[in-house]
Amino acid sequence: MNRAPVIAGLGITELGKVYGRSAPEFAAEAVRLAAADAGLDLAEVDGLLTNTGLSRDVGLGLQRDLGLRDLRLLSEVQAYGSSAGAMVQYASMAVSCGMADAVACVFADAPLKERSPGGSAYASAGRAPKGWQGLAAASGISSATTMYALAARRHMTTYGTTSEQFGAIAVAQRAWAARNPLAQLREPITLADHQASRWITEPFHLLDCCLVSNGGVAVIVTSADRAVHLRQPPVHVLGWGQAHPGHVMGRGSEFGLVSGAAISGPAALKMAGVTLSDVGVAELYDCYTYTVLVSLEDYGFCAKGEGGDFVTSGVLGPEGSLAVNTGGGQLSSYYMWGMTPLSEAVVQARGQGGDRQAARNDVVLVSGNGGVLDHHSTLVLSPHAR
Amino acid sequence: MPVGIVHRDAAAAAFFDGAARGELLVRRCASCGGFSAPQARACAHCGTPEQEWAPSAGAGTVITWAVVHGRPADGEAAPRTVVAVVELDEGPWLQAQLTGVAPEEVSAGLRVRAGFEHPEGGEAVPVFHPA
Ligand SMILES: [Zn+2]
Repeated sequence: MNRAPVIAGLGITELGKVYGRSAPEFAAEAVRLAAADAGLDLAEVDGLLTNTGLSRDVGLGLQRDLGLRDLRLLSEVQAYGSSAGAMVQYASMAVSCGMADAVACVFADAPLKERSPGGSAYASAGRAPKGWQGLAAASGISSATTMYALAARRHMTTYGTTSEQFGAIAVAQRAWAARNPLAQLREPITLADHQASRWITEPFHLLDCCLVSNGGVAVIVTSADRAVHLRQPPVHVLGWGQAHPGHVMGRGSEFGLVSGAAISGPAALKMAGVTLSDVGVAELYDCYTYTVLVSLEDYGFCAKGEGGDFVTSGVLGPEGSLAVNTGGGQLSSYYMWGMTPLSEAVVQARGQGGDRQAARNDVVLVSGNGGVLDHHSTLVLSPHAR
Repeated sequence: MPVGIVHRDAAAAAFFDGAARGELLVRRCASCGGFSAPQARACAHCGTPEQEWAPSAGAGTVITWAVVHGRPADGEAAPRTVVAVVELDEGPWLQAQLTGVAPEEVSAGLRVRAGFEHPEGGEAVPVFHPA
């Protein structure tokens, strides 16, 4: 009996400015799509893990929405942007030990409202004007963008990283997005466009920041034995890791300089029995361009502090030597938290990328980043069993 | 851009009492004597939950900063707010607004000193200005 975990199904709803549907409705549809993609009857799903976004209404009730009976695993998972990877990890462990046979992992959100700007969805979420949170808001620090801007600026002043280097990431990812039919933004951009885009919070221009999207994405994790009889080529989950640095905001803190990828990356590669040079595709959480740069450093694709030179050396983009964020990422395709890099990784590992398929897909690295570099997950995926 | 309105809750009440009389309070560990940020629930150095309030001297250094751009009103430039992470000389980091300095003149390592703004209808809010 080969209980090694594989991703056998992928479900992606309509994404972007899709109004009139709630996050639980997107979540249910994503799970149905993922089961159908795998060739499973919905009733064969015996495990369900949910991750709710800003709407905070996707949870245990999804079982009833889907009419699932006698689940052997059901839980809400929350580690923000690292949750998608974390759900696949927990599902993989459940499948490996025989606790469940087919676990659906789903994220859905509906933060965009008709006739209100996308940025406002994330600017004011969950902020009460009281106490410590209220003090931060009163001081002008009221969004994740501001915190990431503080992190990025620290990287810039410490290592000499520049806005133009961040821009190279945005330009490369848009070139990938042009080849992705699911991407919300597919018009090519230049470095000049990046530099001319309006400031959101310096050092971030508009084109340094991710999209905001409504929709849902789900995957089905099952065993290698089971996957043999299913519809899609299996995507083996070879290795995984998490890291939650617990930064203390005080003297000596590495805030902005190092992400959890520095710990979860080597752990996941070791479990998979591969090395970084085996990785042909890297799908990296990219809430901001800066996040890609710091993740590349922390995984070891380049030395710490040399991310700026690395991203402008021609490695990125469809013509580059390392396939990074091949769907356009959260910057240009769609923002489904950690499901953005995970969904594209599944497509690439299956070899179903069409015009954007990376040639070398034997080892696909998936990075999830939550909070302000507070939570990290890594997955190592492959079309091949170990 | 002026600071906004904030109201106290139980956890921050002593801090805002200090702010009202012009004192920047941080946490000092009853066990090791180390300083932690005002919102810390345990000592950042040894993990001890028992901490007392202690006044910071109010001097610090800019670790990093960001310039928040507001939405421009008709024909006017967008308002800009400089926010920063300041390392107090005692060690803790505070996130606060920088005042009295143009965004272009801020740099990492800039020496700053704490002051307080007293917006109508809210608690006193600490800000930092060049020393
Ligand atoms: Zn202590």
